[in-house]
Amino acid sequence: MIDQNKCEACPVHNAGNLKRLGINMDKFDFVVALAGNPNTGKSTVFNNLTGLKQHTGNWPGKTVTRAEGGFEFNKNRYKLIDLPGTYSLLSTSTDEEIARDFILFGQPDVTVVVVDATRLERNLNLVLQVLEITDRAIVCLNLMDEAGRRNIEIDERALTRDLGIPVVPTEARQDVGIPELLKTVDDVVTGKLICKPYRITGSSKGLTKAVENLAEKIKNEFPGLPNARWVALRLLDGDQKIIDAVRSGEISGIVKRNAIEENFATV
Amino acid sequence: MTTNQINEREKLIASANTLRWEIGENIHDSIIESIYTDAAKIANKVVRIKEQKKKYSFDQTIDRIVTSKWLGFPIMFLLLAVVFWVTIEGANVPSGLIANLLVDTLHPLLKDFIASVGIPYWINGVLIDGAYLAMAWVISVMLPPMAIFFPLFTLLEDFGYLPRVAFNMDNLYRKVGAHGKQALTMTMGFGCNAAGIIATRIIDSPRERIIAIITNNFSLCNGRWPTQILIATIFIGGAVPAYLAGLVSAAAVVSIALLGIIFSLLVSWGLSKTVLKGEASAFSLELPPYRPPRILRTLYTSIIDRTIFVLWRAVVFAIPAGIVIWLVANVTIGGTNIAEHFIDWTDPFALFVGLNGVILLAYIIAIPANEIVVPTVLMLTVLVAGIAGVGSGSGVMFELDSIGDTSAILHAGGWTVLTGVNLMLFSLLHNPCSTTIYTIYKETKSIKWTVISTILPIIMGFAVCFFVAQLWRLIAS
Amino acid sequence: MIDPLFALLIAFALSGILAVLFWPAKGIYATYKKAKRNTSRVLIEDTLKHLYDYEERTVRPTLRSIAGHLSIGVDDTIQLVEKLQSMGLVESSQDGIQITPQGRSYALRIIRIHRLWERYLADETSVKETEWHLEAEEKEHSISVEEAEALAAQMGNPVFDPHGDPIPTKDGEVPKRNGVPLTTLKNGKFGRIIHVEDEPHAIYSQLIAQGLYPGMQVRIINTEKNRIRFEVNGEECVLAPLFAANVHVIPIQKQEEITSEFKSLSSLRKGEKAVVVGISKACRGPQRRRLMDLGVVPGTLVTAELESIGRDPVAFNIKGATIAIRKKNADQIYIKEFSQEELN
Repeated sequence: MIDQNKCEACPVHNAGNLKRLGINMDKFDFVVALAGNPNTGKSTVFNNLTGLKQHTGNWPGKTVTRAEGGFEFNKNRYKLIDLPGTYSLLSTSTDEEIARDFILFGQPDVTVVVVDATRLERNLNLVLQVLEITDRAIVCLNLMDEAGRRNIEIDERALTRDLGIPVVPTEARQDVGIPELLKTVDDVVTGKLICKPYRITGSSKGLTKAVENLAEKIKNEFPGLPNARWVALRLLDGDQKIIDAVRSGEISGIVKRNAIEENFATV
Repeated sequence: MTTNQINEREKLIASANTLRWEIGENIHDSIIESIYTDAAKIANKVVRIKEQKKKYSFDQTIDRIVTSKWLGFPIMFLLLAVVFWVTIEGANVPSGLIANLLVDTLHPLLKDFIASVGIPYWINGVLIDGAYLAMAWVISVMLPPMAIFFPLFTLLEDFGYLPRVAFNMDNLYRKVGAHGKQALTMTMGFGCNAAGIIATRIIDSPRERIIAIITNNFSLCNGRWPTQILIATIFIGGAVPAYLAGLVSAAAVVSIALLGIIFSLLVSWGLSKTVLKGEASAFSLELPPYRPPRILRTLYTSIIDRTIFVLWRAVVFAIPAGIVIWLVANVTIGGTNIAEHFIDWTDPFALFVGLNGVILLAYIIAIPANEIVVPTVLMLTVLVAGIAGVGSGSGVMFELDSIGDTSAILHAGGWTVLTGVNLMLFSLLHNPCSTTIYTIYKETKSIKWTVISTILPIIMGFAVCFFVAQLWRLIAS
Repeated sequence: MIDPLFALLIAFALSGILAVLFWPAKGIYATYKKAKRNTSRVLIEDTLKHLYDYEERTVRPTLRSIAGHLSIGVDDTIQLVEKLQSMGLVESSQDGIQITPQGRSYALRIIRIHRLWERYLADETSVKETEWHLEAEEKEHSISVEEAEALAAQMGNPVFDPHGDPIPTKDGEVPKRNGVPLTTLKNGKFGRIIHVEDEPHAIYSQLIAQGLYPGMQVRIINTEKNRIRFEVNGEECVLAPLFAANVHVIPIQKQEEITSEFKSLSSLRKGEKAVVVGISKACRGPQRRRLMDLGVVPGTLVTAELESIGRDPVAFNIKGATIAIRKKNADQIYIKEFSQEELN
């Protein structure tokens, strides 16, 4: 649990650093995607970060609402994209396709997954799927007040360790934890924090073998691809978008981007 | 890209395909299972629940009440009735104020101003009497009820009550092949059909969503309530003893709304048995925990996202309609204006189905917004019947403060109780307004469904009016 | 004004005529459309499918078998085969009629469309399973290759049809089937159904009526000359060998647990808890994936939490969230009794 008063004093509580930029964001330095299950307070987090001024429209060619806004923190300008609330990224529903494609092809600098602290297990389903696709993710453990009321305790440090990515507890309705979240976003995009995300282990023997076999071939074809295993799984699942991306080589765009980031981080 | 590379990639894809035949069909299942296994492992490690005290008993208490056999439906009807009552009552005053400002005050001022600068009268007519007036009318009738209805509705949604309504209503909707959430989009449709159609996005199964879109028009929207109330007061209320008039006309309006619900269920059933027979269907509904609604946030988003959005679309469509209205009343061919030509030409058919040419013309030129039907009907009736001294000239829409005067004009135009009843039915069963049609197209991206949603209610409207008229005459003779 | 009674009569007559003309499936228009089906394209494609089928089963096709398959006269069949020959799709020699490689790839293309369409009907529509094959028989001749590819992409490129038959690839590749008929399985052995033959229709509807789907586990209880008793998903089933031969299985070792008496989720009363064992194979496509995404996976603890006013749907607590599920779907979710050890 976060003590609000205590945090007034802590260094990250620097509200002055947060500027809600509204929609006129011609130039931004980083793109942040906001993912999460429905009913986790994702939109509250979004509103807290961007303020009232936001741009809503549809995702290109889809009848799914797309909201984006901007904010400035530590002299960096961020564009925040609100992805549709989904339970998973595997099914073929339009919402899930949009969220998945944005994380994969849209290449956000960091993906913040908003998680309901009172239903961690269910929400981890989505977190683990996001981590299969991207390395740079943050868990925003929201509704901590609600969890406290229900006597649910979460060991955030153990969670951070297990997932290999930063976990920030928040109470978005009360604005608690938002400064910490911003600080973490900043740390991840500037390379101060390196994520080493957890990757799914289990699955049946036959499948594991097939995945390994295929992932090996994918790595040969696209050296440096961070999520070859996931691409292999998607190929085995017959995902047309991924098949096309492999065929056209678009999937290697991810490699290039990653390489640049790494160079940037080591400098 | 070299051919070699392409070959390698094709080989890769082909080998994936071969592997798929070997591992069989269960891959998707095992992927999800393994993710959940890992999720459970991690969650078990990091989550600790200290002595489980009676958890979220608040939610459970509310849920027990709102889904109880005896209280569930009464609470639902009561809440919805309160929302509608607040909307209709609360909108009266601001509507009057806006109409006062835009129609009664600003309109003559603008007209005089334009005339004084020496711009020809017909430009003045087209722009001010036509375009401006239509826009002013739409804003004054549409804005206040929507600005009240949408926030109230969103508050109920935010609190978490609406998913429970869908939960309770699903039994009924399942039987007609639809989704329980259609109850919500229909209720939204009572506010505005275009908003109701956008709201169908909450239905994630494509088949059920199409059904909800096509049948949304059977929810009597805000723009049609005033017409219903006025006509019911004049013709139905006028046909019974004075002390019953209020009650009977109110009952008539409610029956029309109920009839709309019945039609929407019937059409849903019909569609799911015919055109949509083979379409996919899936159902899942999460009942989120109750959360205190954020009032300011809700006010802001529902006014910006829903009200202004819908109003803007309506205004864009109303302006050309206003121009057409003025033109048909003022452009003459062979000495008579276009309006009268059309009315003379359609009258035989229209009277046969118990309506009249004025109504048909009004519904054609008022496609952009149901709100301007009554002013258009009055203007046209005065024009055709040659009544002098009311309104402010041909092509200028008007409404009268006195119901008695309105009644006199309509009776002078040859209206009977049958015309009144059929107008009420036709107001329920006719094509959606152009904003709604446009929204249907935007949401479905399909000309087929747009055309079906547009044509189906008109056919039903004429058929119902026809049968009512014939039976009426049969009984009366 | 027209006499109202007369007008009403005319209206009724008109709607009667319209109904006769356009009644779904039985109206004149629908009948006419069905009758028009036997175009030369359909005949050619059906012949190729027949020849391919016989080749696969190493049976020699004859003019008579083709005529029988298409229900046309022998004279017409001779003309048809000549036409196919001139198109280079078949060859006839002393050995009889043979399909050329070109004809084979044509046949595989049609089979691909057929099986894709069956998959589509099974996964994404509410068309009944007894109608899948028949509808696909119609559809395979009218869909273009591009439409079929778009459909495949949208469904995630399925590799099996709902009966368990492999769907040929775009390039006409198709794996050899490796199952054995259920009749060859010994007493007490386990197997997994991989294929339920959809032709002839009469046998297929029997198998469907028994509730057999690809993916189910079976255990042979005993085989006799004229009947085979076996257990499938905990229920006992009896089939005549003729029928059982149309079910193909791959033998497996004793599996996880195919314990008896699974109950379905819909049997759970308000307040009761249970553990999910699995989802019936009859629940397919997006509906199945959605249920799994929501946390309905083996091992999940579910609690019946709330009944709606009409008692359908019922809301279950699944991994912390309250999810309403209709009875129809709850019927397809198998559960077992909840025990404390199970949880950890």
